Amino acid sequence: MLISTRWLGRHVDLGGLAPEDVAESLTLSTAEVEGITAFAPHLDDVRVGFVQTREPHPDADKLAVCTVDVGAEEPLQIVCGAPNVDAGQKVAVAEVGCVLPGELKIKKAKIRGVPSTGMICSVRELELGDEHDGIWVLDEDAAVGLGVAEALDVRDTVIEIDNKSLTHRPDLWGHRGIAGELAAIHGRELLPLDLSLPPTGDGASFPVRIDSVACSRYVALPVDGVRQGRSPDWLRFLLLAVGQRPLDLLVDLSNFVMLDLGQPNHLFDRGRLSAEGIVVRMANAGERTTTLDGEERSLGEEDLLICSGAEPVALAGIMGGEGSKVLEGTSELLLEVAHFDPVTVRRSAIRLGTRSDASARFEKGLDPALPMEAAAHLVRTLTELQPQITLPAPPTDVGAWTDQSREIDLRGERVRRLLGLSLTDEEIADSLRRLHFDVSAGEGALRVAVPSRRAGKDVTLEEDLVEEVGRIVGYERIPVRRLTAEIAPPPPDERRALVRGIQDRLSGGARFHEVLTYSFLSDDALATLGLADLPHLQLRNPVREGERSIRRSVLPGLLGLLEPNRRRRTDVRLFEVGEGYLPERASERGEPAQVHEVALVWAAPPAAAAARFDAGCFAGLQGVVEDLLRGVGFDTPDWEVPDGELNEPWAHPGRALRVVLPDASGAGRAVGVLAALEPGLHRALGLEGELASDVVAARVSLDRLLECSRRSAGYRPIPRYPATKLDVALALGGEVGVGDCVAAIERCGKGLVASCELFDVFCGESVGAGRRSMAFHVVLASPERTLGEADGRKFLRRLERAAADLGGELRSE
Amino acid sequence: MEDRIAQLGTDARARIAAAADLEALRCIERDLLGKQGPLAEILASIPSLDKAERPAVGRLANVLKCELLAVAAERREVLEAELLAAERSCEDFDPTLPARPARRGSLHPITRVRRRVEDVFTSMGYRILEGPQVELDYYNFQALNIPADHPAREMQDTFYCTGSGNLVMRTHTSPVQVRTMESVEPPYRVISLGRVFRKEEQDATHDHTFHQVEGLVVGEDVTAGHLIGTLRSLLAHLFGRELDTRLRPGYFPFVEPGFELDVRCPFCEGGCRVCGRTSWIEFCGLGMVHPRVFAASGVDSERYTGFAFGFGLDRLTMMLLGIDDVRHFMAGDLRFLEQF
Repeated sequence: MLISTRWLGRHVDLGGLAPEDVAESLTLSTAEVEGITAFAPHLDDVRVGFVQTREPHPDADKLAVCTVDVGAEEPLQIVCGAPNVDAGQKVAVAEVGCVLPGELKIKKAKIRGVPSTGMICSVRELELGDEHDGIWVLDEDAAVGLGVAEALDVRDTVIEIDNKSLTHRPDLWGHRGIAGELAAIHGRELLPLDLSLPPTGDGASFPVRIDSVACSRYVALPVDGVRQGRSPDWLRFLLLAVGQRPLDLLVDLSNFVMLDLGQPNHLFDRGRLSAEGIVVRMANAGERTTTLDGEERSLGEEDLLICSGAEPVALAGIMGGEGSKVLEGTSELLLEVAHFDPVTVRRSAIRLGTRSDASARFEKGLDPALPMEAAAHLVRTLTELQPQITLPAPPTDVGAWTDQSREIDLRGERVRRLLGLSLTDEEIADSLRRLHFDVSAGEGALRVAVPSRRAGKDVTLEEDLVEEVGRIVGYERIPVRRLTAEIAPPPPDERRALVRGIQDRLSGGARFHEVLTYSFLSDDALATLGLADLPHLQLRNPVREGERSIRRSVLPGLLGLLEPNRRRRTDVRLFEVGEGYLPERASERGEPAQVHEVALVWAAPPAAAAARFDAGCFAGLQGVVEDLLRGVGFDTPDWEVPDGELNEPWAHPGRALRVVLPDASGAGRAVGVLAALEPGLHRALGLEGELASDVVAARVSLDRLLECSRRSAGYRPIPRYPATKLDVALALGGEVGVGDCVAAIERCGKGLVASCELFDVFCGESVGAGRRSMAFHVVLASPERTLGEADGRKFLRRLERAAADLGGELRSE
Repeated sequence: MEDRIAQLGTDARARIAAAADLEALRCIERDLLGKQGPLAEILASIPSLDKAERPAVGRLANVLKCELLAVAAERREVLEAELLAAERSCEDFDPTLPARPARRGSLHPITRVRRRVEDVFTSMGYRILEGPQVELDYYNFQALNIPADHPAREMQDTFYCTGSGNLVMRTHTSPVQVRTMESVEPPYRVISLGRVFRKEEQDATHDHTFHQVEGLVVGEDVTAGHLIGTLRSLLAHLFGRELDTRLRPGYFPFVEPGFELDVRCPFCEGGCRVCGRTSWIEFCGLGMVHPRVFAASGVDSERYTGFAFGFGLDRLTMMLLGIDDVRHFMAGDLRFLEQF
């Protein structure tokens, strides 16, 4: 909202305060000021000139050659095309070098051969209105040579207030409200304003019927003898300063009252209204009406209408109708000032896409006591301009409104306790009185009478008064304190420790980069990844068409990041710790289950065929997950081949493993899954050709991890006796797994196998068809003695037999 | 015999002096002083000598042995010193060659700043609580004194879920206030950090998904003064020095009085791009817990008072790390992430 400081001056003397001071005090005590701008700064450069002579242009019928005195030694010669320019006028002159709105720079020119040094301006050229049928003729008293702004006394500074910070303050949507705040803040007087209705004739009041609870008050006042025309300059300049285009007196006056008191109002052409009078009712479904902006609008049963008899003449609180527009020559008017339900107005305005200055005010919940005052203000302002007007009949004032003013008991202790500021009851009372709240002594508290304009939704509780006191006293007075209390340290936060541990482990030596991806997945992404059949919670109003599903897992978002990153990096490792939502597991109240997981993806060019068996991303990611789990306090997991449906459509059906850890009871519990990417997805994700990649992904549930038992603390003693190292290779049938081999080796070691690490897997002629060779580094050690060669030999003999039992052989020592 | 010993001494001294390196010296020592060496041979031959000759030969041989050991030790010292000197010389060192990078991953910048905030508050005795991002309308709005049709609902463009209509993507972390008050007995100090959602057009300073930090303190003597003090402590930790702040009125339906806290721009004196040339940065919405919110959560607002605050983690991260476009955070681009 724009506030003119000159306008404020009509209500409070701001002498001694610079506009910046005014703005800052509003920011610190009332509402956020977004900016301060000078009104029409070009009016300082445009000067008052006196047209000394006007001669016809020798070569052009429609042009005139004028000599204009602008207070300089020599008058200017200006060629002017306006039909109304004449000698003896005071005019607005833009001299050479002056820049007008629209970056129009005035230059020396020859117009049809006659030199011209300046321009006599029209109202429109100065952005002061629409009139362009001639030059702007100034008041005769304007002093020649002065800047127009100074000569007409229209210098103004405009303060822009953030509308959002006025959401709860319907009383501040006009200049008087803001002036009242400034008066309270700076301890000045709010100048009196007569808001009583002048005496009226005793004719018949205008009939008004309210048929909807959405209108709680309707004041209708007939006004006669009005002469239409142009508004006086003071009114036009006030409106211009706050961005309102002056139109004609009646429209300008209506806007003036709205911007002055915050109360929208409407002037009807009384002659065009039905004798049945005004009816306020809800629209019928499908009813249509044309508003003042020329739009035909289709209405519904939730739109409130002002009707003349049966005919709609205005959308209540939003916009007048074409049918009630005041016609030229009309002198008999009906002034409407009403109070409408804020929710009804807001919904209608949003639905019809017609938010107006009026609806913005009504939807804040205006004071129902205000309409009669606003009617009086309009009539009194009009009377000053046109003393001949008459009020033929008393106002109609109908509706089930009540005065909102209320009394609230305020304990001084409450103020001191909430603000932490020691104020006396007297200081408290004084700050409230500055806001025009009546304060008297009550029982153990101050009794505060809140006027109707503040008592709607804004000031209803003791705490609301605490805020009023605080902001008027000044929040800067609150002493800064530190909390003290007897507090126990917060309990251990296992979940957060787990999250941090995972992040640190992965972002360190594992070389994974943490990402955050959106919680919303598009229909396309779900279809691509084969996830469309899973239940997803959906948005009713997604940010983009189709981007409506709320993720169940963080993994799909990561998969979408592989292609762009693989374009720039050979090796891409990403992880995210985040939440997914499962609608099928909802609480009684309908909240979907929130699951927490870490997802990892790794994409890199496929390993060379001759590379070691564990060179690829699959074994690599297994190692990362093992290290991760050990790093955050769990045992190395078991890797289980899933039996049955994995239900992970992104996963390669044959290259997938479950991550299994013992739970509190010792039973194995799947905490996650690790798998190569389903081969069909490589192309869909753009990972082919140059970007062909080995892609492996894993998901581990944090919720399940928290239910698993931790690795027991403690260490294995460092062996006191030297160990014996052996390399052994077993050639066995392809069906014998590594686990079987390791079990055999450990069995044969009879408790001496300290470690056993696979380092080579080999298939080939020398091993035999259908067989493969697996080679292990084996370390034998005893806690009791140094092992000798005999121990190694015995181990190998046993292993030889074990290999034979497995259908193979020990290949070497 | 004595001549032979003398000759042996002369030759040996010359050989030791000529030893080119430690390995050569070791060979010479073995040759001369070893079991098969000439001195050993002489000593071994003593019993076969004349009785009169024996003491002198024995003495000479032993003296020579001692002397040669000393000479060899001396020579070893010289050679070792030469070797160290050679190692210390840096003829083959090229200081312009680059380092071999130690590769590692990265933590997201939001995570980095989030941890700093968490750590400041936990050090002040706060617990960290979490709330759901898909939230009931009740917690996101109603229990926070934002009933249906309250204009404040429009201040936050909300994503609504399909279905029964009572689920929204939370528009702020404030619902955690109510969930906390419902489940924990005062006094308490809690913060909650996490994702929030508003249906906004994306640009350099807006995204529809961002992160907030919510704080709530309830106790028997909690005032606005404590609230200011708390946030000033946080700011001092984050920016490494005390920063001036100012409190001004702010409207949030779930606090009364409600404030906004501006912080003096830490990057300039008198206006810069970060503070929009105002030298103040809007940092935080805050206030004293509204009695209706206390009532909705079953807390006695006569006995207890409380404060709550909320601020954006993304903007704080951008300020602390000098990031100029919020869209980087959710874009998952390694060129951005690798920098942290």
